[in-house]
Amino acid sequence: MSAAVTETPIATLTLDVNGEPVSVRAALSTTLLTTLRDELHLTAAKRGCNQGVCGACTVSIDGEPMRACLSLAQGCEGREVRTLEGLGDDPRLVALQRAFAAHAAFQCGFCTPGMLVAARALLERDADPDDATVRAALSGNLCRCTGYARIVTAVRAAARALKELA
Amino acid sequence: MNDRAHGAVGRAVPQVEGEEKLTGRAAYIADLDRPGMLHAAIVQSPHAHARILGYDVAAAKAVRGVRGIVTGDDLAAQDRMGAFIKDEPAFAKGVVRYVGEIVAAVAADTEAIARAAAALVRVDYEELPAVVDPAEALAPGAPLVHDDAASYVKVFDAGTGGNVCSRTEFRTGDPDAAWAQCDAIVEATYRTQAQAHLSLEPCGALAEIDAAGRVTLWSANQSVFRVQASVCESLGLPMTKLRCLTPRVGAGFGNKMEAHVQPVVVLLAIRTRRAVKLILSREEDFETVRARHPFVIRVKTGAKADGTLVAREMELLLDGGAYGDDSPGVLGYALLMQCGPYRIPHVRGHGRVAYTNKMRFGAFRGFGVPQVTFAAETQLDELAAKLGIDRLELRRRNMLHPGDPWFGGQAIRSNGLAECVDTVVRESGWSTPLPKSDDAAPGQRHLRGRGLALSAHISGLLASGAIVRLLEDGSVLLNTGAVDIGQGSNTVLTQICAEALKVPVDRVAIASPDTDGSPYNWGTTASRVTYVTGSSVVGAAAEIEKKLKQHAGEMLECAVDDLELLPGGKVAVKGVEQHAVSFADISARAHWAVGGPLIGTHSWVFDTKTFDPKRAVALGLPFAQIGIFSFSALVVEVEVDEATGGVRVVGAWSAADVGRAINPQMAAGQVEGAFVQGMGYALTEELVWDGARLANPSLMDYKIPTFAEVPETLRAFLVESDEPSGPFGAKSVGELGINGVAAAIANAVADATGVRVQQLPMTGERVLRGLLGRERA
Amino acid sequence: MALSGMLWPRTVDEATALLAEDPDARPLAGGATLVAMMNARVLEPHALVNLGRIDELRGIVREPDGGLRIGAYTRHRETAASALLTGTGAVVRHAAGQIANATVRNMGTIGGSISFADPGLDYPPAIVAADAEVEIASVAGRRRIPAREFFVDWYTTALVPGELVTAVVLPRPESGGAAYVKHARVSGDYATASAAVCVAAGGAVRAAIGACGPTPLADAEVDALLSRDRSDAAVTNAAARLVALADPLDDVRGSSEYRRLLIPRLLLRAVRRAEATTAEAHA
Repeated sequence: MSAAVTETPIATLTLDVNGEPVSVRAALSTTLLTTLRDELHLTAAKRGCNQGVCGACTVSIDGEPMRACLSLAQGCEGREVRTLEGLGDDPRLVALQRAFAAHAAFQCGFCTPGMLVAARALLERDADPDDATVRAALSGNLCRCTGYARIVTAVRAAARALKELA
Repeated sequence: MNDRAHGAVGRAVPQVEGEEKLTGRAAYIADLDRPGMLHAAIVQSPHAHARILGYDVAAAKAVRGVRGIVTGDDLAAQDRMGAFIKDEPAFAKGVVRYVGEIVAAVAADTEAIARAAAALVRVDYEELPAVVDPAEALAPGAPLVHDDAASYVKVFDAGTGGNVCSRTEFRTGDPDAAWAQCDAIVEATYRTQAQAHLSLEPCGALAEIDAAGRVTLWSANQSVFRVQASVCESLGLPMTKLRCLTPRVGAGFGNKMEAHVQPVVVLLAIRTRRAVKLILSREEDFETVRARHPFVIRVKTGAKADGTLVAREMELLLDGGAYGDDSPGVLGYALLMQCGPYRIPHVRGHGRVAYTNKMRFGAFRGFGVPQVTFAAETQLDELAAKLGIDRLELRRRNMLHPGDPWFGGQAIRSNGLAECVDTVVRESGWSTPLPKSDDAAPGQRHLRGRGLALSAHISGLLASGAIVRLLEDGSVLLNTGAVDIGQGSNTVLTQICAEALKVPVDRVAIASPDTDGSPYNWGTTASRVTYVTGSSVVGAAAEIEKKLKQHAGEMLECAVDDLELLPGGKVAVKGVEQHAVSFADISARAHWAVGGPLIGTHSWVFDTKTFDPKRAVALGLPFAQIGIFSFSALVVEVEVDEATGGVRVVGAWSAADVGRAINPQMAAGQVEGAFVQGMGYALTEELVWDGARLANPSLMDYKIPTFAEVPETLRAFLVESDEPSGPFGAKSVGELGINGVAAAIANAVADATGVRVQQLPMTGERVLRGLLGRERA
Repeated sequence: MALSGMLWPRTVDEATALLAEDPDARPLAGGATLVAMMNARVLEPHALVNLGRIDELRGIVREPDGGLRIGAYTRHRETAASALLTGTGAVVRHAAGQIANATVRNMGTIGGSISFADPGLDYPPAIVAADAEVEIASVAGRRRIPAREFFVDWYTTALVPGELVTAVVLPRPESGGAAYVKHARVSGDYATASAAVCVAAGGAVRAAIGACGPTPLADAEVDALLSRDRSDAAVTNAAARLVALADPLDDVRGSSEYRRLLIPRLLLRAVRRAEATTAEAHA
């Protein structure tokens, strides 16, 4: 006789992901991160710790950067989820990507999607942040490769570039 | 050779994988899927040391969706891997040697099923006495971590026996007699902690078996060749049966240099005949992989009254954990580097690695040098104080000059140390006195201080190859087998190739490492890719150039010596630009008419001997040929909070002698990143054991620096001393920037407070204790 | 009766009714604490009562008597930016701003945080120093208890099964200053030790120490001493009482001895900082 793994019932729900309604199936314990990565194949958000500390899973929910690993899929009904893949045309993101490349603000790239989501949200709130503001806004995103200084430089450079465009 | 006119070398070329990383499309191991793929979960040992009496997998097997279970019974006793000592099975067989060690694994349709089934695997253990302290492990009567360590196959004279994993001793001059010549002697014991690599990406692997029974393995790794060797040795597989590939890697720092879960995943793939993927959780990564060796360092230094260094003795005890891994190399290398970049005529260095019932310790950026530099460079400050000589002056008097050999006799050809020192002294404002504190009330003040540390590292070692091919359209394909773990080697090697052939960087593609198609590359470690693999690229490109000119000579009807490469992929008669043929023309001729496709190859093993037997005695030397030397100087300014002992780094100026910066921006990035990682090592990071159990295997409890900890001023300086044996004069830079960080911070703390901390990390608690009265904390 | 899945009550009454129906169902606020525990398989609830659609629980409002009501579902980000938390009330704002990092502050809530009662949290000493009350709801109705009584032991509050935190209520803030001084290994870590101090313009002082025992350390005698005399010597003397009350852990953040050493030092710093940041409360 084979035993089945007991899990909470799988619910079918509709989520708003990157501007599209999508139908997903999730147990109560299924996080948004798991749904995004495994079911929707949106793998930009990464699982670095699954405890909400490292920030590699950062996505935008209702316009605010949040941890996908600490958000339950079932709890995201009715909320706007945006991943890096869905922010593609946002001029702030484009400016950040250019600045990150120009200033070598990434190395292995694993923290980068979360970092870009958080930085884009910062620039949306504050178009001209100083170094201290950038550090405070991004202090929830860990990076082990770059030493952080270049990321601060890149975010400031992106802010300047956006100001020149405006 | 140093012609900068073409311009691929020396340029801040953006990372070739930049776009995919910035758009989130880069595929790391966790992002890969294969058809019909199963998910795996591990079963871990709850005991530090126990005999495995048997397994009961019936309940686990009965879970719906479980497709395969492997235990130690699936391993052959004689199959073991190990970089220096073949002491490690694919996972625990017969015995478990540390809490958390993998003892079994389950493959199932989903990860949830695999984990649930793994929890149902029953292992019958007979607990054995365990030993967790390295000194206790070496005491008579200690429980043996390995029943017969001496019987293992070793690649060098390791002196293994009992709980001694390896022992090494180096000596120059007459160290025992030299103390009598010294006017001042300082001696102290230092302790350093286990540091976790904390690559943002946890370890993982995915293996797939084809109809012919051949396995393809993707994994987060620093060497596809080390993975291949380790998996095949530990599973008894012929190497032709395993192909190892690399997705994008989310950093390594040494954690992914040797095997982690690859053998388990390959075994599951073979058993189930399906693709199997295993990604470790962060906690599992902390508990089962590897970390930086804890060291106990006893060091003694003697000098003359004028500050001339006379003698040095260093004794090391390394905690090796349960398996040898890279430990013998770390011990040997740490002893080789123990003098720092100074002339010391009489030196004795000796040490041992002890087996203990803890997770194995292994390669981590710096490879033993951050540990010994912490001890030696802080001791130099103490010596300076004792002699009444300025601490910068003491170093200048004893620094290695161009022409001086390294400890042991190896010649040093490029030496930019003096410029490194001058640069950081100037840029940090070293000579300008610091205000010692703010004007808060006593007991609540913030005290300021500065510290200096000089250090060195190698660019080494072992073997690399390169294959450069001209594709049909005249563009270039480079294949070296070197894994880019984010440090930028793909970009740097592309630049070197482009420079050598005078083509634009985007005309060169670099192949992903593949044990089937790539030439052997020992790995991305030991600061070797720019130097060793880069040299191979230059060699292979030179062969292509020869062949290009041979064709061009025939096509243009002139002597080969009259030809030169022109920028943009052309071969022309010297001085007659119009009389030229393109790479595309030559490649077409070669493919369809004459000679065959142009393939240039180069293959070498670093072969300069480390020790000159006329100058030094070495016992238990794990590497006879290690590498060339590069140098670094670092000044740090700190602020110490008197109330809490908390240390904040407010400025860091780090200069690295890189020979030639192939990509200055990436080289600077290595120095900066290494500084911050070193800052964590110096101040806050520590793996803590509660008995035999790792107490803080979580990012909640193990803390690395965040944006908020980075100093307001963090500046990297690149010094170019032009290494003649390096590609376009380059040396490597991956590790150099971390070695002196803990020492510079400790020296700065002492400068600010008078407190000498002799244990890492220098937590607020340790500094506060020092401030409150015990001079040595 | 066992409930299942994610439930979305629209009122507090609906929420407490669900919790009464199934004592194993857990209330879910921001998720910062609960989901992390679920990911670690420390908790495996089969039903979650999601408080996210209950309007009453959100935001900071002034009560008729001038007190400030912080709804349980108010996110740390909002609390950290609230213009209402001035004067002695600012201690809660300062604490909120030092919780974890900006992204977690977008998610975590005061109700979720204090219900977990991790002694290393930032809110507990701050709301004790602010003389706040915790409002609790159940099917039996509402009750309010002083913050000091809410925290009972390590990870243990005064909540009984079926109860829910609905608000943290501060008395009308007095003009004066407040400070929350946190010593941690790195930014974003739990406190190794912390000190929350309010200094009212009239001289009344309330102080509480965090992360040095199972619950925040506060003592009426200490407050009385500090209210009379805030000289260095007096603060150190008062701190000695708190040190005697302390029962700190030895853990990776620090030894118990270190925490005892920190108490007087952080208390003094918090007192001085509170004195320096005097502001008028809204009338």
